[in-house]
Amino acid sequence: MSTKSNGTHSKTIKVNYLARVEGEGALYVKVRDDAVEEVKLKIFEPPRFFESFLRGRDFTEAPDITARICGICPIAYQMGASHAMEDACGVTVNGGIRDLRHLIYCGEWLESHALHVFMLHAPDFLGYQGAVEMAQDHPDIVKRGLELKKVGNEVMALLGGREVHPINPRVGGFYRAPTRRELDGLAERLAWGRDAALETLQFTATLDFPDFEQDYEFVALRHPDEYAILDGRLVSNRGLDVPLDEFLDHIYEEHVEHSTSLHAAMKARGPYMVGPMARYNLNFEQLTPLSQEAAHDVGLGPTCLNPYKSIMVRTVEMIHACDVALDLIDRYERPDPSYIEVTPRAGVGYGCTEAPRGICWHRYSIDDNGIILDARIIPPTSQNQKVMEQDLWHFVEKFMDLPEDDLQWKCEQGIRNYDPCISCSCHFLDLHLDRA
Amino acid sequence: MQTPETVEVAATEVPRDGQDSPHFSEDAVLLEADALQALIDGLRDDGYQVMGPMVRDQAVVYDEIQDVEALPSGWTDEQAPGRYRLTQQDRARFFGYTVSPQAWKRFLFPPERRLWQAERDGTNGSFHVTTDEDDPPRRAFLGVRACELAAIAIQDRVFMEGPYVDPVYAARRRNVLIVAVNCGQAGANCFCTSMGTGPQATSRFDLALTEVLEDDRHVFLAEPGSDAGAALLDQLPTRPATDDDRAAARRVVEEAIDSVERQFDTDGIHDLLLDHLDHPHWETVAKRCLACTNCTLVCPTCFCSDVEDRTDLTGQTAERWQTWDSCFTLDFSYIHGGSVRDSVESRYRQWLTHKLASWIDQFGTSGCVGCGRCITWCPVGIDLTEEVEKLRAAVTTPDSPSTKDGGDRS
Amino acid sequence: MASPASTSEKPKLAVWKFASCDGCQLSLLDCEDELLAVADAVEIAYFPEATRAEVEGPYDLSLVEGSITTPHDAERIHKIRRESKYLVAIGACATAGGIQALRNFKNVNEFVALVYAHPEYIETLKVSTPISYHVFVDFELQGCPINKYQLLELISALLNDRRPNIPPHSVCVECKRRGTVCVMVANGTPCLGPVTHAGCGAICPAYQRGCYGCYGPKEAPNTAALADEFLRLGQDHAAIARFFRTFTANAEAFRKESVAHEHEV
Repeated sequence: MSTKSNGTHSKTIKVNYLARVEGEGALYVKVRDDAVEEVKLKIFEPPRFFESFLRGRDFTEAPDITARICGICPIAYQMGASHAMEDACGVTVNGGIRDLRHLIYCGEWLESHALHVFMLHAPDFLGYQGAVEMAQDHPDIVKRGLELKKVGNEVMALLGGREVHPINPRVGGFYRAPTRRELDGLAERLAWGRDAALETLQFTATLDFPDFEQDYEFVALRHPDEYAILDGRLVSNRGLDVPLDEFLDHIYEEHVEHSTSLHAAMKARGPYMVGPMARYNLNFEQLTPLSQEAAHDVGLGPTCLNPYKSIMVRTVEMIHACDVALDLIDRYERPDPSYIEVTPRAGVGYGCTEAPRGICWHRYSIDDNGIILDARIIPPTSQNQKVMEQDLWHFVEKFMDLPEDDLQWKCEQGIRNYDPCISCSCHFLDLHLDRA
Repeated sequence: MQTPETVEVAATEVPRDGQDSPHFSEDAVLLEADALQALIDGLRDDGYQVMGPMVRDQAVVYDEIQDVEALPSGWTDEQAPGRYRLTQQDRARFFGYTVSPQAWKRFLFPPERRLWQAERDGTNGSFHVTTDEDDPPRRAFLGVRACELAAIAIQDRVFMEGPYVDPVYAARRRNVLIVAVNCGQAGANCFCTSMGTGPQATSRFDLALTEVLEDDRHVFLAEPGSDAGAALLDQLPTRPATDDDRAAARRVVEEAIDSVERQFDTDGIHDLLLDHLDHPHWETVAKRCLACTNCTLVCPTCFCSDVEDRTDLTGQTAERWQTWDSCFTLDFSYIHGGSVRDSVESRYRQWLTHKLASWIDQFGTSGCVGCGRCITWCPVGIDLTEEVEKLRAAVTTPDSPSTKDGGDRS
Repeated sequence: MASPASTSEKPKLAVWKFASCDGCQLSLLDCEDELLAVADAVEIAYFPEATRAEVEGPYDLSLVEGSITTPHDAERIHKIRRESKYLVAIGACATAGGIQALRNFKNVNEFVALVYAHPEYIETLKVSTPISYHVFVDFELQGCPINKYQLLELISALLNDRRPNIPPHSVCVECKRRGTVCVMVANGTPCLGPVTHAGCGAICPAYQRGCYGCYGPKEAPNTAALADEFLRLGQDHAAIARFFRTFTANAEAFRKESVAHEHEV
């Protein structure tokens, strides 16, 4: 990593390997004569070609295979894939099974957000290289973070079988539904989690945020009855309101040289943002009353346009996730059977859910025997790349005179605002080229 | 290691089934079926945790029960090599199932247990050891089959009658009260009659029940086998058994004997196996064997264990744990630099020869009680009785194809 | 921010990523109760996911996650090997090539550069290979993902100068110790447990599904005998090929078995 300064008017900010992000990325900013000339978020994570090798697999294998796109958010893929297959086969999963899906997803949000807030992002605000270093001086904060993450993981382990790459979700539901008694044990932990998240929000309110607000197009799911997480229509604050199968009519993906992850943008309007900030700004009124109140208490209104404050928004979502999870457990009746039989038929299906980092959109086409013919997956981080670069551009423009090390660190932090999941964004496509 | 007090169990003979007509104790009494709850309650009142059969995960397993409603009433099972299906039957017997996938050994010889903990004393290299207070719960086993009684007797001999007594097994064994239940039908893989271990329980129980379900009545013939058993019966509403009652019980046991499909010729089995360790038949069976260890882990007499030391990150504390092990694993035969039994063939041969032949040299009886679990729960359905028969046929008729080309796969 | 050399006497730990989903590294961060104890016992010298700080090598223990899929990575692993006293491959990607090794089964001529408009921007290899194909590996911790307790065991073993307790026997051992009823015998559900390396704790059968082999082959796996049993249970050859061709598709025993069935009818 280096920041060179060639006189007072030009500099290059280069971070060769971004830390505290998931996956392999780098950043490069070139400034000349007090103007930003070039910004690149370089993604060099090797592509793994999931959409290619999904062809020829059985539709029931999609949840297990796509889970391996990401170790931090496997549920997002398992749900998206399951929904898409159910859609293709004309099946809708409701009632107790859907509630279980909602519950395990709350666990994933909690675990992923806690990882990010405490271990990946907070160190930036407090000036530490990482959480372990931070723990020397702030042991209580780090321990609380680890415990919150653990609560999320306990939900995953009970409902999913294990925290990373859960084995229990399947097309149609779950292989085994937990008993009421098993969930009661979780409820206690989630109650603690809710309190811990509230305390954490107070803590995030004390952090220093650069004065940096931007004008974004936010894209998220919207559901009539809940703060969208499992399904809904795709909406934005600039007029988008479409069902899942029309998404590709409105966005395009392009391949840029410096990224092994495709960039996405609105055809009509350019870069857009997905993730907690997008959800928050679009669906604030659907957060639980407790979450909304907590947000108000720390001076967050229904709108938040400072990406550095995403740490606060993520924390509000942690409160919300605990709240929703407790409610789901309270009214739980063990579904029997634990899954609906899904008979394959030829067709195309769509599934899109709110991964912790934003919308994760799936489309599959299958044949009469349930064999996958084609797969297309658009993960959240690839959709955020352009807006990440845009943020960097505007930030450096505004804060160009900061001391070099500070500017570089803030740029990295700017990337970390998005909690990028780079391995996801480059699971990609069918390609083949071999020069070896 | 201290030797524990003498454990009070009867003589070490493996109970021999009467090939003559089944016989019942002079002190037998009759218990109505609806008094079974009182039996369970009586045991619990005496401080016993009652472990009994129940349906779970599509099989009859053993776990704690408190009510007769938990028992697998009306359930039976169909077993074949590599296959087990729980099915319902018209007769609402409590104990109409045959052999469960689990053996009682998991309560006497647990799958995993900590032996001791060690903690360093400062930095001079010394450490002190603390053993866990072993205070096993008092348990009543409800529903022990004759073959299982025989298996417990075999493990008693292994763990308690040699020069080194296993104190944990002994402590658990001491705290167990056994309520045997005679079989009324054989499972398709059962061969207790060939091994002389059943189907009737004749000794080594505290109480033995025979369930009689006829048109007009549902009763248990109950035989006390110890003072504890007799005391238990005294608390229950019983009456002395009549000749009719005994006849009815006899019919139940005879039905079990008659329904045994599998016969196993154990004549000269010791030399048959140990004199033919290089026979090509071992290679034939090895082609099918997965070395998955299932047979040994479901077997009620298998007793092998592994011991491993676990440390914390700092090296300040360590624990020694004992876990179930199996001669089918590679590491089982690891000694200083490598494993002695690398091939699946050598492992299968080790298991079979130990179970049916060298066990006799070691412990005076066969290691097999004819419960058939290894046949049922082998994922590919290898049948040890069939394998022995094939070997026997191959060595007694030297010109048969089996000896020339290593036998065929069935 | 690299500091030239460490002044700590604790063993130095480094964590490296290749082509992977990150789940195995995450397992270390998922040791919520033990993470700070680990940080006490070792010096976390290089772990970009957790910290910006970097301490130069050589490293006492390098944990490598991910498979080799690019020319750049095929070079990078050699440098890591040179700098590491012990190099441990963690997870199915690093030990077997991962799910992305499914590309290894494709004929390169069948591929079409579909969506990458500028294929010259991408450099990738025809095959995804495990770390052991490139450098000597001191230990392979199998799993997709690895079991975090086994990772702690590995670190503990290293710190205490003893052999790690990572038994290579079947999942069946864990299943039977747990008291789970065999889903294959009692329900006819195909299960790869009998040929799969233990370590996960036999989760799938406890949730009423068959093992799908994500920990890779155990020692002496008799995949042919198990595949025959699957046929008897009514599975067809195509399905059997798929069973053996998932997250450890490139592991030798599983690869051979999937190839044996892929063209059968």
